[in-house]
Amino acid sequence: MISARLDALYAIDRDTGAAMRIVLPVLERELNDASALAVLIDLLALVAAEAPDAARALAERLDTLPAALADPVILRQWALHGLQRHCDNAGARRHFFETHDPLVFADNVADDDSRHLLARREGLQHYLAGFGLATRVVDLHEPHAVGVSPPAVSITDDAIRFPRRCASAQRDELYRAAAAHAAAHLLHSPLARLAGSRRPMLLATIALIEDARVERLMLQDFPGLHSLWGGFHTATRESAGFEFSGLAARLARALHDPAVTDSNAWVLKGRALFEAAAADDLHQVTAFEAIGRQLAIDIEKMRLPLPLHYRPQPPYRDDNTLLWNMNAALPVDDNASAPKEDYEFRPRDELPPDLLPVDVDTRRRTRYPEWDHYLEAMREHWATVIESGPAATHVGERRMAQHAARRVKVRGLDRTPDRSIRLNRLAEGDELDLSAAVDCAVQQRARLPPDGRIFRRHGRRHRATAVVLLMDLSVSTGRFVPGSFTTVMEIEKRAARLVAQSLDSSRDRIAVHGFASSGRHEVHYQRIKDFDEPFGAAPQARLAALEAGLSTRMGAALRHATEALAGQEADHKVILILTDGEPSDIDVVEVDYLVEDARHAVTCAAGRGMRTFCLTLDRQADSYVRRIFGARNYLIADHADAFTGHTGQALVRLVAH
Amino acid sequence: MDPLLHPYLIDHEPYYRAAGNEVALFSAAFARGLPMILKGPTGCGKTRFIEYMAWRLQRPLITMACNEDMTASDLVGRYLLDAQGTVWHDGPLTVAVRHGAICYLDEIVEARQDTTVVIHPLTDDRRMLPLDKRGEVVRAHPDFRLVVSYNPGYQSVAKDMKPSTRQRFGAIAFDFPPAGTETEVVVHESGIAPERAARLVKIAEQSRALRGRGLDEGISTRMLVHAGSLMAEGIAPHDACALAMTTPLTDDADLLTALDGFVEAQFGPRP
Repeated sequence: MISARLDALYAIDRDTGAAMRIVLPVLERELNDASALAVLIDLLALVAAEAPDAARALAERLDTLPAALADPVILRQWALHGLQRHCDNAGARRHFFETHDPLVFADNVADDDSRHLLARREGLQHYLAGFGLATRVVDLHEPHAVGVSPPAVSITDDAIRFPRRCASAQRDELYRAAAAHAAAHLLHSPLARLAGSRRPMLLATIALIEDARVERLMLQDFPGLHSLWGGFHTATRESAGFEFSGLAARLARALHDPAVTDSNAWVLKGRALFEAAAADDLHQVTAFEAIGRQLAIDIEKMRLPLPLHYRPQPPYRDDNTLLWNMNAALPVDDNASAPKEDYEFRPRDELPPDLLPVDVDTRRRTRYPEWDHYLEAMREHWATVIESGPAATHVGERRMAQHAARRVKVRGLDRTPDRSIRLNRLAEGDELDLSAAVDCAVQQRARLPPDGRIFRRHGRRHRATAVVLLMDLSVSTGRFVPGSFTTVMEIEKRAARLVAQSLDSSRDRIAVHGFASSGRHEVHYQRIKDFDEPFGAAPQARLAALEAGLSTRMGAALRHATEALAGQEADHKVILILTDGEPSDIDVVEVDYLVEDARHAVTCAAGRGMRTFCLTLDRQADSYVRRIFGARNYLIADHADAFTGHTGQALVRLVAH
Repeated sequence: MDPLLHPYLIDHEPYYRAAGNEVALFSAAFARGLPMILKGPTGCGKTRFIEYMAWRLQRPLITMACNEDMTASDLVGRYLLDAQGTVWHDGPLTVAVRHGAICYLDEIVEARQDTTVVIHPLTDDRRMLPLDKRGEVVRAHPDFRLVVSYNPGYQSVAKDMKPSTRQRFGAIAFDFPPAGTETEVVVHESGIAPERAARLVKIAEQSRALRGRGLDEGISTRMLVHAGSLMAEGIAPHDACALAMTTPLTDDADLLTALDGFVEAQFGPRP
């Protein structure tokens, strides 16, 4: 098992394989477990497929990470985080794998807290929107080492970042308190002032006073926040002590709640100065800055140092970096900031012949998560689906489509049962239509010619179906089907043509899409025929021109098809996938990963009311199609001739369902 | 005035707090006989306004709530049977046209577009209503006025007025009044203290910022009045807000937590 995996790793990157072989004896001693070692090599292969240099760096230091090796889940979370965080910067990525400590993910509490926050992110986002801050994204800090105290909330131009480990048991209250405090700053604080030569202690005291000032202002509009914030002000003489951070917490509490008594002279002085200034005008920023200056001088007279990792207390308060612009003192480097002007825009036909036009990549990119069954978690934004430019729609083609030389038909499709409705005002029927009968009697009495249509009966209305036919275009579809002279691609095309032509275009909507992937960053997706397009000459030409190539990342393609289908109005929605083998991709070596991911995509589609059905030509498909699509949602065609027929049958079954 | 219309007169002055010059505008249009559209979000006071104007101008008000199943004969009338034979029964629109009243069609876009076409001959200079089943043309009474209302917030292509219908009307756009005015309304209607009413209004303002983020409409003045009356009866603010404002507004859990957060920002954490 181990040697086979090592060979696979060798095949992906020689150097990583070699480095692994060197540390292997140490690891075997450490791990003492063949399956754990196999998981580890799989992980290396995963990294190597995307970033060989990073994998090499990781392999070389594996023997120095005994604690991290003990739990493969932590190592995997860490490696995936590094790959995703630095996916566009190879240098930073290698540095991450050379030096970063995987044990930052060993913190179970932080892990639980981050999941908790991410689950409530949407609600917090709405909460911020209520304060007019809809553009700030709620996000997490980078993971931090276990021993160090977690960073405070920080507010940047586009995001509000929360620590991964929550400092209070009342997590939801803390998140709301932090969001409301951030809103107070953004609504009332002067932002990014020049820090100049202010000392760190001075910055800390000015920020402390500023926190109290903006909260006071905020309370004028939102008085309920007082007790929300008050729940976290717990500093007392006994609990907080006489160091600077303790005194600062006590002053923060004294400023928050006038009823709290405190005996410390510094705290009392701070409160007296603050209340005097607040009684005057809360908007007078300079007056409050003077208070902060006074307090800083007093603290320094007491010879109390600013602690190394000072965090404003209570924990809902942010690190106040948004108040200051620390970098403005640096001299402006004209060379660095001068915009480069050596390009210009010209129409393509006016181009001098010696210049090559640079094309802008206008293809639409959409990022989707993938399901990691080993971690039992989504890998956010993992796969990128690239869609070629939108297919032009030609209105005139509808007529041409109707005159198509030979129309194929699926038997039974026109006999599918429909939803029942009531047909009123009929000349004959099963029962009386009472209101029509009354009208008729009225007309008779009024000596008008009566309208005899006074019956009604149950009728049927055809349900509308929207189908996405998803074609696997991977390289294996270019092969010949065993025992025949046609390629898989030919058979898929035949089946697609049948489905596209046989559905009633006035009622049902069908789209024919295809996919092929080349690693997670390039899942190519092609709209051969879209919903609003008749199956005319252009789509038929596109279908005929399809060629086999690349691999099968089924999950990402299914998610993209789900999105396409979600925008359609139909009574029921179906994804019909035509394939010839199990999901695979060049950057994935693990056996089950893509199968489990595809299964997750199918489950998600089912959750949104879409049925997924698979037709495959792989005779050995039993093992995985059942896992992906469920027991009743697949059909295995044994030989090529039957495939088209099977497709028709499947379609009838799906539409009738 | 025809005694038939007496039940439609409004006896007591309905409370209406003007937020702008809508009273003057409406009175001028009314004097000219111009049919009017009142549009605005739900619960902002459109219906209350027309009641107030009917009382102020001393005209009977015939209200009709429109729905999708409404037919033209629901508006103009139909033949019914009695012991002697058939008898014609005027619909609400015909009553208003014949005897001179204000006909108020609430939520007009809910009715199918072809139904509302019957008002076309009434709303141009012909001012008449043909009753084809009866073979009669009713000339509009000089006091007849037509007022319709709808909510532009959740309109779709299927629910909109035909341009040919729209262009016959003058229109006044309503919105939620400014905070001070809205507080005044809540205080008057529910009887709670102005300070508490102001807090309710703040919650509503925050919720209106979520429009388009999953909420079709924010908390309306009507909801505030309901919550205020519950609080005036001694219900705790959190319960009153949950019952009358946040819970009815949405089923989305994320939106509900945000809305509860807004309540908390006014009344503190739930004890």
